[in-house]
Amino acid sequence: MNDRMRIRVLLLRVLVLSLLATLGARLWVLQVLDGDHYRQVAETNRVREVVTPATRGMILDDRGQPLVRNRTSLVISVNRSATDRQADHGKAVLARLAGVINTPADELTRRIRFCTAQVKPPCWNGSPYQPVPVAKDVSPQQALAVIEHPDRFPGVSADLQAVREYPHGSLAAHELGYLAPVTQDQLDKQGDEKGYHLNSLIGVAGLESTYDDELRGTDGVERLEVDRFGRVAGTASTTAPVSGDHLVLNLDLGVQQATEQALQDTINQLGGGNRTASAVVLDVRTGGVVAMASLPSYNPSVFVGGVSEQDYRALSDPANGIPLLSRAYQGSGAAGSTFKAISTAVAMQNLGAKGDQRYDCAPTLQIGDQVFHNFDGESAGPITLHQALVISCDVIFDQFAYDSWLADGGLRNGRGPYSPPKEYFVRMAQAMGFGKATGLDLPGEAKGSVVDRAGAKAIWAELKDSYCRRAKNGYPEESDPVKAERFRKYAAEACVDGYLYNAGAATQFAIGQGQYLSVSPLQLATAYAAIANGGTLWKPTLAKAAVAPDGRVVQTFPPRKAGTLPVSPEILAYIRGSLAGVTTEGGGTATGVFADWPSTIVPIAAKTGTAEVEGKGDTSWFASFAPANDPRFAVVVTIPDSGTGAEYAAPVAKRIYQAIYGVGQAAAMPGGQPPAALPKINRDGTIAATSLRVPPVGTIVAAPVSAPGRGPVVGAPAGSPLAVLPALSTTADVARTGPGLATGATGPAAWHPPPGSAGPPAAVGVLSSAPSRAPPAGTARP
Amino acid sequence: MGGGVVNQEAGPTALRSSPVPVRGRIGQLRDRASGRHSPLRRLDWTLQLCVIGLSVVGALLVWSATRQRLGEAGGDPQTFLKRHLLNLAIGLVLGAVATVVDYRVLRAYAPFVYLGSLVGLVAVLLFGSTINGAHSWIVLPAGFQLQPSEFAKVALVVGAAMLLGEQHEDRHTGIRHSAPGHGDVLLVLGLTVVPIALIMLQPDFGTVMVLVFTTLGMLAVSGAPRRWVLGLILCGVLFGGAILQFHLLQPYQEARLTSFVSENKASSGTGYNVAQAMIAIANGGIHGRGLLHGQQTQGQFVPEQQTDFVFSVAGEELGYLGAGGIIVLLGVVLWRALSIGFASQDSFGALIATGVVCWFTFQSFVNVGMCLGIMPVTGLPLPFLSYGGSSMFANMIAVGLLQNVRLRSRSDPYAL
Repeated sequence: MNDRMRIRVLLLRVLVLSLLATLGARLWVLQVLDGDHYRQVAETNRVREVVTPATRGMILDDRGQPLVRNRTSLVISVNRSATDRQADHGKAVLARLAGVINTPADELTRRIRFCTAQVKPPCWNGSPYQPVPVAKDVSPQQALAVIEHPDRFPGVSADLQAVREYPHGSLAAHELGYLAPVTQDQLDKQGDEKGYHLNSLIGVAGLESTYDDELRGTDGVERLEVDRFGRVAGTASTTAPVSGDHLVLNLDLGVQQATEQALQDTINQLGGGNRTASAVVLDVRTGGVVAMASLPSYNPSVFVGGVSEQDYRALSDPANGIPLLSRAYQGSGAAGSTFKAISTAVAMQNLGAKGDQRYDCAPTLQIGDQVFHNFDGESAGPITLHQALVISCDVIFDQFAYDSWLADGGLRNGRGPYSPPKEYFVRMAQAMGFGKATGLDLPGEAKGSVVDRAGAKAIWAELKDSYCRRAKNGYPEESDPVKAERFRKYAAEACVDGYLYNAGAATQFAIGQGQYLSVSPLQLATAYAAIANGGTLWKPTLAKAAVAPDGRVVQTFPPRKAGTLPVSPEILAYIRGSLAGVTTEGGGTATGVFADWPSTIVPIAAKTGTAEVEGKGDTSWFASFAPANDPRFAVVVTIPDSGTGAEYAAPVAKRIYQAIYGVGQAAAMPGGQPPAALPKINRDGTIAATSLRVPPVGTIVAAPVSAPGRGPVVGAPAGSPLAVLPALSTTADVARTGPGLATGATGPAAWHPPPGSAGPPAAVGVLSSAPSRAPPAGTARP
Repeated sequence: MGGGVVNQEAGPTALRSSPVPVRGRIGQLRDRASGRHSPLRRLDWTLQLCVIGLSVVGALLVWSATRQRLGEAGGDPQTFLKRHLLNLAIGLVLGAVATVVDYRVLRAYAPFVYLGSLVGLVAVLLFGSTINGAHSWIVLPAGFQLQPSEFAKVALVVGAAMLLGEQHEDRHTGIRHSAPGHGDVLLVLGLTVVPIALIMLQPDFGTVMVLVFTTLGMLAVSGAPRRWVLGLILCGVLFGGAILQFHLLQPYQEARLTSFVSENKASSGTGYNVAQAMIAIANGGIHGRGLLHGQQTQGQFVPEQQTDFVFSVAGEELGYLGAGGIIVLLGVVLWRALSIGFASQDSFGALIATGVVCWFTFQSFVNVGMCLGIMPVTGLPLPFLSYGGSSMFANMIAVGLLQNVRLRSRSDPYAL
């Protein structure tokens, strides 16, 4: 061999070594540098998760009585990883199973197929290693038929699973909410962070949604090692499920039941149909929601195991009153004369009115070319603001609003020397929490609306074109030619100067009418609670605490402050005194309703309201708190399409107070106080619920604050506010009000009706569930 | 060992027959007794031990890759372990034969070796069985299979070395020089084309590539005219391009090659194999999961793991240390082989070594590169490690040839 060949051999050696070095380097990259990535892939390659859902926490009322709990359901499941390996892919087994659970085999096949973009439910969107539930709530006989013949039903299992149960049916449904399977989107975005798994149920409405993290617990995960064929080779790791925490509410079962019953009775009395009614009971010292109800309601159990499309459509149908919608916090409307309490605050705090000063409650008020009438045109002569609230005089508040409007420049819309306009009424409404969410711990809260001059202009700018089109084309769809012409005339005016915040709008605002103010019952309740407690606006809160299954208090939800009213304590005290007169003094709009109420023991401060709704009956309002001298509870009742506040809403509120204080029945709130302590949940998970259903003894007791849950106490320690009340009739469903005493704000309104094609303006009330509003009769503009 | 016995037997005879001075005799005796010049002593033991080591590691890896499946099927989980060791033993015997035969004798019989391999390749076309899409196996009784294309590698190396390694005489000038001329190159190409054509008919594209690269390497080292070497490389590139362009390959072969470049490796088919192999290797990390403890391997995620993808077992269960160690061992084998070639006294020996090195290098690089995702899937076994009798036998014969060359590479008083 010559030397040149030797050199070539050496070159070959270099080539060989460099190739091997390449392999070594690549191996390093794969095993060490990129190792983590591939190991992760290996993990998903190899490990399958089987999820044991955690038991969801219960939702308990303030005394530990379950509002939502879990019951066990016998569930038959098919394990596809087993049936798929059978020679016929489980066909024979499914056919046999179909006979046992009386479901067609086709249907079973559909239920266990895997969901994809093309395959829609019924299908299984969980893990292929997770048994697919095919029948829930089967009988023990059916379950035994499966369990005792594993040879005939390989891959089929029957076991107990926890499902949500609602012991009180539809009670507080809007507050409790319901569960739904996690969506792919949620799984992708929050799956890791929140511990969701395929087929997890998560809260999607109400408290179930807001406190989902607390209630859901942590699912147990068994991680199975599988081989290439999906056969289980062993268990990689197992974590046991951790049950969710129980949620203790401020809501009180007894008060809630009484509230819903009173509302339901009233709806029945009115003739049912798609009528709605709602009520809110707040603890004025904490903002705790003691009761909140809206009818019609629904039983959340329709959502257990997935709501059918038919059920869901019925629950969202306006013909049924949209049962899914809570009018208490998701609807809003004109507040009527209940707003006069706020207007009184404006008059005294901002406009220099004095408590002992007298103002003329004339039958009419001339503003420009427009005449405003008192309700039913009555005259009370010169009276104080106290009396104006008691008898609900419109004209006095109209006058304050008109003066304020003039001071802001009237139609000059706050330009020039009037800039910026003070807009005291609007600002006070905003300070009271109107026009924005109260901060309730439920999703989907209605903000309502408070429209100031700038806002009015913005709305007009949006609607102007359609006003002008209507001015030109008229309302051909309107059958009544007189009405159509009136609408057209209105549209023509609005087309030209609809941006003007006119005197009519301003005066209507002050008495809770018109389109520039829309409040939800909850907002009104928080505002009245703030007036009652001396000026603190609380965020209404349903949840009080999260308690672990072993009784440990995990978290308490303390009162959350939303703001302070810009009203001096003296003025608030004056208003409280005036409102107390509404139920007690002669001429008081609710004196008739509360004639048999033990006002000397539990005085009630209140204001009635009657809001006009075009094309419907009036909305009846009642906003109140008690005891007037040491307020604890605020109660607001709203009944659309009914009548005056005193006629319909006030009696419902009275029944709620009767339940709270135990007039003629056992007190739901013994001593007139919510329970101070959390219900005791024993270590073994049972709940020592305080029994409250003590038989009526014919007396009620207002116990001291520190005696919650004790039941009736007869006899009072010296110096305490304890008093024994006479037993009272609770049959006053329809209280007789004195003729002419029930007063609402029904003066002619300066409406800005929406043109038919423009859709509702900003402040359309949902309370009335009126699909749309047409221009009202008697429209006049100054 | 055996060598010692031979020397001891020879010792007394020498004492009796040679009347040389005692001291000199004693020294010679000592030399012979210590076996300094015995053929066994002069074998390249580093090479031999590395090869045996690789084969034993291969047996363990094959065992790890197959015992689960065999156990599940109700068979003896150690079947493949035993067979691999049996193959190793048979291979060592065949290698010993290849070592013992003087390669100059071998050179004389090279044409017969070559023709024999052609007969095998024709036989496989006539009587063979198709496994994994290639008609490459002759099934023998008792569960053994023969893959003639493996032996064609040996035949080609020997044949080409013979043609390129002889003293070349220029027909016109009569000058003898060691570099092959155009005629020799053409002859070698002819020699290569026949088995290539036969293997293409199976078709076994991987083996064809081994033969191509081996021939090319031997031509280059032999000192063949440069234009031939470069021209052949160019031809290869054009040919490869044409194959893919005009879909001359079987669909499964094309899929193997193209899945290497295509994006979706993890889906299924060939890309799936590679993805699973890479996952397994990466799963091993530096230290590995321990023999028989690789989750990917024991979960049987990597198809063909005892043959083409045996390196992935090493990667997962032995880690970077183990798998890197295997690469190092392969490097030592190739290094020693080239050293043997370098030390060879004649071109024939050097070319034998060159051919074997090209063959082993190509197969090792393509196989390991495939497991690491940097080479296309070609279905080539990893020398000594992959399970397969014919492959093991051919490899061991090649190692035997290397030892043969080494034994005859220096002046040797005991040469046969």
